[in-house]
Amino acid sequence: MTLAQALLMGLLQGATELFPVSSLGHAVLIPSLLRWSFKQSDPSFLPFLVLLHLGTAAALLVLYRQEWLAIIKGFFTAAIRGQIETDTERLAMLLLVGTIPAAVLGVFLQTKIKNLFASPSEAAVFLVVNGVLMIGFELLRRRAERRAVVSAGSRAQQEEQFAQAERISFRAAAVVGACQALAFLPGISRSGVTIGGGLLAGLRHQEAARFSFLLATPVILGAGIVEVPQLFASGVPIAEYLAGAVLSGIAAYASARFLLRYFRSGRLDPYGVYCIAAGLVSLALLHFSL
Amino acid sequence: MKSTGLALGLGVLGVVFLIIGVLYGLGVLQIAVSDPHAAHHYTHLILFVVLAVASFVAANFVRPKGTIYMTDRPRR
Repeated sequence: MTLAQALLMGLLQGATELFPVSSLGHAVLIPSLLRWSFKQSDPSFLPFLVLLHLGTAAALLVLYRQEWLAIIKGFFTAAIRGQIETDTERLAMLLLVGTIPAAVLGVFLQTKIKNLFASPSEAAVFLVVNGVLMIGFELLRRRAERRAVVSAGSRAQQEEQFAQAERISFRAAAVVGACQALAFLPGISRSGVTIGGGLLAGLRHQEAARFSFLLATPVILGAGIVEVPQLFASGVPIAEYLAGAVLSGIAAYASARFLLRYFRSGRLDPYGVYCIAAGLVSLALLHFSL
Repeated sequence: MKSTGLALGLGVLGVVFLIIGVLYGLGVLQIAVSDPHAAHHYTHLILFVVLAVASFVAANFVRPKGTIYMTDRPRR
């Protein structure tokens, strides 16, 4: 892998990890469409992905550094006391409940699922499915808005009538956490399904995105740290990989800031349309070998 | 939902998770692993330690807490 390829992959991973458009799907599709010579089955490709994910996790930790300190403190306080008394303590427990299903499914199913669906054509199909899911989440949300008779006003005012992340139920947090496992399918976006799950649980768009990003941090960080020994394998071009990871972190930080601002009044539909279009175009390009 | 029985059950579950985690860590258990030839399965070890911690936390939450009787409060 050349330095330019490493940088482009880092930029791609950092940006698409948090946007609801599937980073894994793009990581499978783009090299195939650009006919890059390196193979994703190459033993040195996994350490590269590990570093890119650590870059993304580091960006999320920097973005939410104050909140994470409060969450960790809240977790230990509530765990020792055996009672939840503050919103931060509740959020800490919600994140624990949301992380467990993803961790269990990740450890036991990830390898099998990835081996089943690792081809570019399948990634393109799942990208279309992801787009349909995003539009479906928004259709259900609009129905919930009509049922709740959300008063007319600006989009931001409408959004304020929905809940904050701390108010989500524990059952909903577990379901949203389990939804993360869908993202092992290349083309299905982890942030997309968790934001969508948060919307169905009655969260504001911005809060659903915040909960999704907080939920992602331990999973991405954990997966990255577990694979760290792979980095010390021989023949790993560590300088190129590190450059890609730094760029991935910068892109992830910028995209998280953008998305939190966007979701004050924005919806998932544009990303759904993008995924359907990108999936169909990729399928056509792959089919006709253009 | 406070119950001593449920708290005990969750505590026992936590211990079971810890034992399973250690067995994976030592390479004794080889069930549902990606590489059956690996000597240690640290991913599984970490997962089961997390599950054990979650079980102990849940046990502490459902454990009936001690009651403070107002009559015991010292009076001036």
